[in-house]
Amino acid sequence: MTSYKYLIIGGGIAGVTAAETIRTKDTTGSIGLISDEPYVLYSRVMLSKPNFFLGKVPFDQIYLKGKEWYETNHIDFLGGKKATNLDTAKKIVTLTDGSQLGYEKLLLATGVDARRSTIPGADKKNVHCLRTLEDGMKIMANLKTATHAITVGGGFISFEMADLMRMANMETTLLLRESYFWEPMLDKKSGDMIEKALVKGGVKVLKNSEAASINGGECVESVTLKDGTTLPCELIIFGIGVVGTTDWLKRDGIEVKRGIVANEFLETSAPDVWTAGDVAEYNDLVLGEHVIMGNWVNGREQGRVAALNMAGDKRPFKFVSFYTTQGFGTTIAFVGDASPGPDRQIIERGSPEANSFGRILIVGKEIIGATLINRTSEMTVISRLIDQNIDVSGKVQELGDAKFDLKSLLK
Amino acid sequence: MANTREYIRTKAGSKIAKIVIDRDLCIGAASCIAVSAATYELDDENKVIVNGPDATDDDTLVMSAESCPTKAIFLYDKDGKQIYPK
Repeated sequence: MTSYKYLIIGGGIAGVTAAETIRTKDTTGSIGLISDEPYVLYSRVMLSKPNFFLGKVPFDQIYLKGKEWYETNHIDFLGGKKATNLDTAKKIVTLTDGSQLGYEKLLLATGVDARRSTIPGADKKNVHCLRTLEDGMKIMANLKTATHAITVGGGFISFEMADLMRMANMETTLLLRESYFWEPMLDKKSGDMIEKALVKGGVKVLKNSEAASINGGECVESVTLKDGTTLPCELIIFGIGVVGTTDWLKRDGIEVKRGIVANEFLETSAPDVWTAGDVAEYNDLVLGEHVIMGNWVNGREQGRVAALNMAGDKRPFKFVSFYTTQGFGTTIAFVGDASPGPDRQIIERGSPEANSFGRILIVGKEIIGATLINRTSEMTVISRLIDQNIDVSGKVQELGDAKFDLKSLLK
Repeated sequence: MANTREYIRTKAGSKIAKIVIDRDLCIGAASCIAVSAATYELDDENKVIVNGPDATDDDTLVMSAESCPTKAIFLYDKDGKQIYPK
């Protein structure tokens, strides 16, 4: 049985950054990196960007590391392999092909999967979700022939895919189960701004709508909605959220809730097992609660910090997460914890009429998060205000003044 | 390169003399900001701008460019030679 000093499960940005970081601290310790995809590290965020799909960016630009990088750094890349069992007492991981790998220190950076539709006909060809490079390549091929497209969901995948579909001159319909875009992460005012931009960009937005069945032969030809309407469609993308990849761990005593539970050092409940990235439900020192932050920047930072801890450099993960997207001439940013809750005080900056609208979320005396529509320039300063735990209790009026310079509140 | 912005770096002892941002490639993922908030910020078009070209050391600057998921940050030395992406 092969054994590694450091075994990493997950070949995405969290896992690869971890391998890279370990190598800077330990030049000789063996590193194994298991990925269920056959590809070297690629840019998962670029997968949803129109410039990539439409060939404006060369395809190979998606790869962030070459095979030689893994070789030069003596990282065994075990691509196209999936872990099915973990024995934390014996420190052994079993793969789908039955082979076993031993470890001294293990990182679980398995990410999440796209939630798939289960309605009748959802298994037809040209019914897509977007998570892997394989998914992206299937959509790219489909784009060449489709003329009617549907995107399902009220989040960033659906938003960016609608942008792509319009750039490819397709008749585009966006199906939204909710009553406004990005409900409930955004408020109605922000959601309406996004809807307005979508409609202006030529997208037909159907709110309170759900697909009931997908029709056609081998390939999708139309979609019937719950209200009985049937829409022609040769391409449909579901952007309806994510599901965990933790079922295989539940037998083994690793604490799993929505994600793999970890403390601020990204240590799981099992000895010598860490977690990082979209799958980690970690103790966030800035927000003071256990959260999952599924985005690229967070995955990268957690991969780095988990690796430092694995290599013996005990260091807590403390980072204000952020995420942005853009399309239809509109930019959207989420900073920190922007999720809704009864304890949040919300201060609005700017207005939908001015096409520049932000919301600052406060708990107690401190900012915990923000959402920004066409105000991404305030993202950095807000993340610093959160990070520095600035007391803003006496500044509510200023925060609500769109022209007030937030930088003046920094220490 | 089409839609680029150049920022001159004059930090003493630095091997990097110029930072270039390709605004067509930049998608506002902001990973560079996570590495060096003193160097970069976003504008309202969700593109990165360099507000502190001299604010950090060479290693951190290279790390920030390497962190970009679309390779939109280019670094040049004093002779105009591209240092990153290699």
